[in-house]
Amino acid sequence: MINSRRLRWIVALASGLLAQPALAHDPVFGIGPHVLYQGGVEVAIESAAEKAGPEKEQELALELTYGLTGDWAVGVDLPWVRKADDGNRSSGAGDVALFTKYRFWRRDSLGLQESAAVLLKVVTESADSTTTPPLGKGVTDGIAGLTWGYESRKWYRWASVRYRYNGTNPAGVDRGDMLRVDLVGGIRPTPRGYLEPDTVWLLELNGEIQQKARLNGQDLADTGGMQWFVSPGIFWTLRNFAIKAGVQIPVLSDLNGNQPDADYRARLILEWHL
Amino acid sequence: MNKRIAMGLLLLWLSQVALAAGTEYVMRVDGLACPYCAYGVEKKLKAIDGVQKVKVDLDKGLVTVDVKEGTELTDAQMQKLFKDAGFTFRSMTQQAKP
Repeated sequence: MINSRRLRWIVALASGLLAQPALAHDPVFGIGPHVLYQGGVEVAIESAAEKAGPEKEQELALELTYGLTGDWAVGVDLPWVRKADDGNRSSGAGDVALFTKYRFWRRDSLGLQESAAVLLKVVTESADSTTTPPLGKGVTDGIAGLTWGYESRKWYRWASVRYRYNGTNPAGVDRGDMLRVDLVGGIRPTPRGYLEPDTVWLLELNGEIQQKARLNGQDLADTGGMQWFVSPGIFWTLRNFAIKAGVQIPVLSDLNGNQPDADYRARLILEWHL
Repeated sequence: MNKRIAMGLLLLWLSQVALAAGTEYVMRVDGLACPYCAYGVEKKLKAIDGVQKVKVDLDKGLVTVDVKEGTELTDAQMQKLFKDAGFTFRSMTQQAKP
């Protein structure tokens, strides 16, 4: 029999802190259509933290991406997770994820690029799901996304939607699928030349709508609902090195039953193009 | 007679200096919006044997490439290179390096 605390943690794993690959000039929390030049390698070290009531989670991940063509990239996420809930703590390797992104449309003009891409990601069940709190979900999930981006010398705009299909784990828990919607704007206050340090400021609106979880076919009352976040962020780049950071601040929460609202989420990414 | 020979030798020397200096290609490229994304262009161009220097002007959409004597860049080669880098090649001009 699964206890309520363990069930809450497993259901909380529905979102995942690092649910999207962080490619180049993409938003910090949302997704964008950026891929990688053909033959290019991107190495990213990502750190994410989340607090919701008594639950805390930190995740550190190594993300490797390879450009198959100028419009198609593939990659892998190798996370390490640390969790705490009241007196319980656990840490170790998280669920490995594989992803691919294909940019199917691009329109270039002087100093401007508009493009759209699709994303597919599979989050495996490689992590240990027997610890307390559990490090993994015990089941493989899939994410599909569609994104559009406008990038000029001064202004940035993105819109994206993602659907996460969460599988049913061996204990009979179906965590409920999730829909994410992101609207993002960005500004480069001072357009910089190549080889100069460059800064872009971002403001994201991130929405999450999740179905109720089900245990052996029965809805669980204290699961699912809707949350919206406003997320300021920054890109700082120098030639082939980037730092990206952002904080998600909850602005609207309509969670079902008795669930702790998110206090904050934060993300920091160091990225190299090789 | 001696003056003509001297002038001829001078012209020959000047032409060799000009050839030794190589060629400068200037390319018009669309889609160049951010410095970070242009790194793939630099990397791909520098992988070509004979390319000495790459300059990117994001505001004007220009990529300037200095190559050694004997190195030739073609439109077809640049079309593919910029496509693989994620941008759109428009045109290219060349001139002897000053």
